[in-house]
Amino acid sequence: MAVEIPKAFSDLPTSSPRWIGRSVNRVEDPLLLTGRAEFIDNVTLPGMLHCAILRSPYAHARIQGIDVSEAEKLPGVVVIVTGEDAERWTQPGMTMPENWGTRCLATDKVRFVGEPVAAVAATSRYLAEDALELIQVEYEPLPTVADPVKALEPDSPLIFEEHGTNIMLQRDFKWGEVDAAFRDADHVFSEKFRWHRVGANPLETFGVISQWDPIEQSLTCRGSFQSPSHMALGRTLSLGLQSNKVRLISQPHGGSFGGKGGARGTDITALLSRKSGGRPVKWIEDRMEYLMAGGSQAWDRYYEASLALKQDGSVTGLKVKLLDDLGATAEGYGAMSAAKPLTCFTGCYAIPTAEYDLTLVATNRLPASPYRGMGPPPHNYVLEHLMDIAASGLGLDPAEIRRKNYIPPEAFPYTIPSGNEYDSGNYEAALDKALEMSDYKKLRDEQAEARKQGRLLGIGLVSTIEPGVFDWNAYAIVGMPGTGVPEGVTVSIDVLGKITARVGFALEGQGQYTVAAQLLADYFGVELDDVQVVAQDTLSAPPHFGPGGSRLGVALSAATLGASELLKNKLAKVAAQLLQTQPENVELMDGMLRVKGVPGAEMPVAQVAGTMLTRSDLLPPDVDPSPQATYVWTAPGRTPADEQGRAKSYLTAANACHLVVVEIDPETGQVEILKYFIADDCGTRLNPSNVEGMIQGGVAQGVGAALFEEYHYDEDCQLLTSTFMDYLLPTISDVPMTEKAALVTPSPFTPLGAKGVGESAIHTTPAAIMCAINDALAPLGVRATEVPASPNRLWSLLREAKHPAASE
Amino acid sequence: MTTTRQIRLTVNGMTYEGRAEPRTTLVDFLRAELGLTGTHVGCEHGVCGACTIIVNGQSVRSCLMLAVQADGASLMTVEGLGDGKLHPIQEAFMEEHGLQCGFCTPGFLMATYELLQQNQDPSDEEIKDALGGQICRCTGYQAIFRSVRLAAAKLKTAEA
Repeated sequence: MAVEIPKAFSDLPTSSPRWIGRSVNRVEDPLLLTGRAEFIDNVTLPGMLHCAILRSPYAHARIQGIDVSEAEKLPGVVVIVTGEDAERWTQPGMTMPENWGTRCLATDKVRFVGEPVAAVAATSRYLAEDALELIQVEYEPLPTVADPVKALEPDSPLIFEEHGTNIMLQRDFKWGEVDAAFRDADHVFSEKFRWHRVGANPLETFGVISQWDPIEQSLTCRGSFQSPSHMALGRTLSLGLQSNKVRLISQPHGGSFGGKGGARGTDITALLSRKSGGRPVKWIEDRMEYLMAGGSQAWDRYYEASLALKQDGSVTGLKVKLLDDLGATAEGYGAMSAAKPLTCFTGCYAIPTAEYDLTLVATNRLPASPYRGMGPPPHNYVLEHLMDIAASGLGLDPAEIRRKNYIPPEAFPYTIPSGNEYDSGNYEAALDKALEMSDYKKLRDEQAEARKQGRLLGIGLVSTIEPGVFDWNAYAIVGMPGTGVPEGVTVSIDVLGKITARVGFALEGQGQYTVAAQLLADYFGVELDDVQVVAQDTLSAPPHFGPGGSRLGVALSAATLGASELLKNKLAKVAAQLLQTQPENVELMDGMLRVKGVPGAEMPVAQVAGTMLTRSDLLPPDVDPSPQATYVWTAPGRTPADEQGRAKSYLTAANACHLVVVEIDPETGQVEILKYFIADDCGTRLNPSNVEGMIQGGVAQGVGAALFEEYHYDEDCQLLTSTFMDYLLPTISDVPMTEKAALVTPSPFTPLGAKGVGESAIHTTPAAIMCAINDALAPLGVRATEVPASPNRLWSLLREAKHPAASE
Repeated sequence: MTTTRQIRLTVNGMTYEGRAEPRTTLVDFLRAELGLTGTHVGCEHGVCGACTIIVNGQSVRSCLMLAVQADGASLMTVEGLGDGKLHPIQEAFMEEHGLQCGFCTPGFLMATYELLQQNQDPSDEEIKDALGGQICRCTGYQAIFRSVRLAAAKLKTAEA
């Protein structure tokens, strides 16, 4: 049944929206503020056991033997599993690219520090940890593959011997006549860049309670699952279960940012539950486990990149060569992060040609995971830094080289060389707004003055795209099949007229339940409090994916409105019968079903719904007694990827211009952020406070990536940053209180014109800060091309430049 | 290793008695033995501040304190903040969107409570100092900062 989804607030059946588009208080908050949300570690089941996991101390070693006999004798220990159990009862987990995975517990050898080797279920976590100390494992250490460049050499030790190489994937994509563009260029600017590993680090780690039913051969898992249906499919395959006998219940969870992980922990607890005869087994990942062996690490990249330009400053080509260290296996979907830059490869610019020379390599580091932004943040940094290098080479202001190359507003929808289509945008408007907010000219004057005093003051100004509403087809080049990501919502009205929306995802922090409630309250003319949003498990919910890839605001509002339209059509049929007219004469407005043009001929929604449920004698014959409808939405017009990876993939393209002022302390190399301005255009804002929260949160993570956060490994692939004392997250003193402006260029392709904004400023902030740092360093003739620009790195650069303050 | 000790402590005005191993952390005792799961554990090593509670009037990382050390102490957790309705600090966090996932929030609320108990009118720098040991991965702190400002104003108005 074709459904007409409203395209603007004015299409909603309300004379004046009271909720949508406003910064209403979040319906999620009372539960969270009082500590009553059911985070997974708050859940206890009868007979529940607690799991602890023994992990490899070696990055690369053969397992010669495991002896669990002493551990088994410890009172309170119920069951222990090792690789033997995994071999008997599981298959290697899904990977991308395919066949670069292992079972949940190591069987023959270990490939990274922290890889699970054995697991204990005991009556308490304390006892389970005690038991780990009694397990004896004999290892034969193997040569470590620590350096991704050496990993490419033919005589390198191999992570997976059966592949005969450590290269997981190597492709050279050329879009358009890129070699000709470089041959015919007036100027070519090139640089190498290094982006070190960072990662999600939600404040809550992963946790799960698994319960195996040995009679039914079924599995129920409660956990902090970001993508429960995807995780359920993975467990179906790894544990060899029938798909409709795997039920995942996603609990409210403390953030995710793509890096929640959880596949191994879920499989391990499932094995323990199975071996214990079906007792529920809980595992809560501790922080050290998360940092060392969880879904914690992303983007370990070595770049060489070039821009081709004409004399007038127009960019004619972009070449990016990327060596991406994905770590020991492809289980973490880190490869997706190398593919996603195809969705926004040439940024905000009308660059006609491009090349992406991509190598994904395995080493003995932790398998890479997704992280908010999923790959473009480093890519954007490379592109934006190159734009500044080119500007400097041609004597242009950073604002002007960007202005010259923007895709103009009239060119949308616009297809970029790597295949994605941008829906709409006005990049120059965002630039002008940022320049105006910051009083850019005055800032440059202040900078000139500061330079005279020897101060290292820098201004960074960048423009980026945030691809929104993800689609699987964007990841075809790393082996992901399929096009479209269905998201379903069921809307129902009960006998007393209250409205419930049932969705397939749990609370995670983005305020999506509030958005659904705002839409439904306006649609059916009720108070916000009259609407409840309820999470369903994977076997109960309509097809769903949940949050990820800046999609849920758009997908959820489309599905909610689609279901509302279907429900309205049903109500209209019943109201027509009751009001003695034809359904096409009935309209919904402000909570009333009314006969068009007949004042007073109307009935409240609640009355019609109540009639449907309690007066079958009054129903028209073709209407079932169910004031309920389900709608499953997927983005329209998506296309499968061609052999060069080109597809209409992400539906929306939000954009932002960030302008940041930093000062480097020459004695310490420390960077202070002095001012920060944001002009952000994500189309219509469904809840402006939610949007601002997404942007500011992205700024904080961007500050972390640019200045503090880094997973350090030694030459044996031992992680040196396995606590929050070493892996530095930004605090309230490190993150700038930003000045933000909202621009609104609605998407022509989404309900209400909203664009995805959930990943938001992490696309932009690292590039902005790095460009500001380099602007500060410019008079010294050195470039910072390693991210994060931590004090030690900047201090070394200052020393190299013989800055008088930087000496021993 | 499994010998336990009897402890007695007051939490949110209620007296509890229980047994704890000497190694049991205070937060594990609160959560597992007393069922007070509003206090969350983010890092178990005293950096993130999610497990912040008030012990004898002072903020404490309950992951760094042993349960037996709290014998005889008076504690306050997030469950003790409101009294059947939201406390003005909780209201302020809601109105300013000072939380997203909510996992770190109980710690921020307790740190804010301590600050505003000691200082009714904190400066910007005093707010940042008081919250400098609390990590939030979602909000970027700006809305939290505004929440604390609003909470201070609400508490002053309530007092006036």
